[in-house]
Amino acid sequence: MNADTSSASQENQQSPNDEDQTGTYECNICLETANDPVVSMCGHLFCWSCLHQWLETRPNRQTCPVCKAGISKEKVIPIYGRGNPNPQDPREKLPPRPPGQRSEPESSNPFQNFGFGGDGNFQFSFGIGAFPFGMFASTFNFNDGRPGPPLPNSPQQAEEQFLSKVFLWVAIIFIFWLLIA
Amino acid sequence: MAQKRIKKELVDFGKDPPTNCSAGPVGDDLFHWQATIMGPTDSPYYRGVFFLTINFPTDYPFKPPKVAFTTRIYHPNINNNGSICLDILRGQWSPALTISKVLLSICSLLTDPNPDDPLVPEIARLYKQDREKYFKVAKEWTEKYAQ
Repeated sequence: MNADTSSASQENQQSPNDEDQTGTYECNICLETANDPVVSMCGHLFCWSCLHQWLETRPNRQTCPVCKAGISKEKVIPIYGRGNPNPQDPREKLPPRPPGQRSEPESSNPFQNFGFGGDGNFQFSFGIGAFPFGMFASTFNFNDGRPGPPLPNSPQQAEEQFLSKVFLWVAIIFIFWLLIA
Repeated sequence: MAQKRIKKELVDFGKDPPTNCSAGPVGDDLFHWQATIMGPTDSPYYRGVFFLTINFPTDYPFKPPKVAFTTRIYHPNINNNGSICLDILRGQWSPALTISKVLLSICSLLTDPNPDDPLVPEIARLYKQDREKYFKVAKEWTEKYAQ
């Protein structure tokens, strides 16, 4: 234990630049030398990919990992060192993500972003009804174990067909009334 | 990312371990550690050696590690299962924290329990109302389970 610390301090004295600089420019999240470095307004250094992932982890409570000051993507400053002739703002890069961190939506249904767990027990479907009125019918479907759209010949299907027929007739009557009025 | 960071923490922990604490992986699995805490001198846990398990989630350090006591301990914020009620292990976790800092926080929780946010209400009540008795029981448990 004592031997360890004394040898470590000797190393420090022998190569102060190496030891000190790696400590100073380490990302506060991955603890490695910061890659695509950004600095927060409170002065804390991060890799952009690390900080981005942290901001994504808690989108509604974005705080500095070190001092818990408020922090946001817009308020961090990218750091450009010498040697890169075309510095690119790291925030414009799509940060690389480790695989499996983010579950992609299972289908292209945009309403899956509502955060109902994505397991398919909740379903939300839209149907455009009679054309001139832009009517739509929405169906909430809480049936477990049946994630697909309403099956043909199911009560929902029959109900939707009935509703669209009703709207169609209402539309026809309305247009007819407009014509004779 | 997680694995690299855990390796880094292991190296740093070896270089500068917090006083009265030790920690390291169990076998080859870097994501599963065992730690020990020696009871702090100014607490009823003094002279006790307490074992803990640490499980790192795959998205560490963005999610907190799961830390629990495996040695029984009489404490308002630690229950029978060894679960620890500590804010930094839940909502107040930050990826800038390390296992070394977590163990240090647990050490200070042993010295200064937080009876206003108890996990075991009976122990918290005793701690508030009859500090001497709490101290006596906690010391008895330490002698019985942690020595």
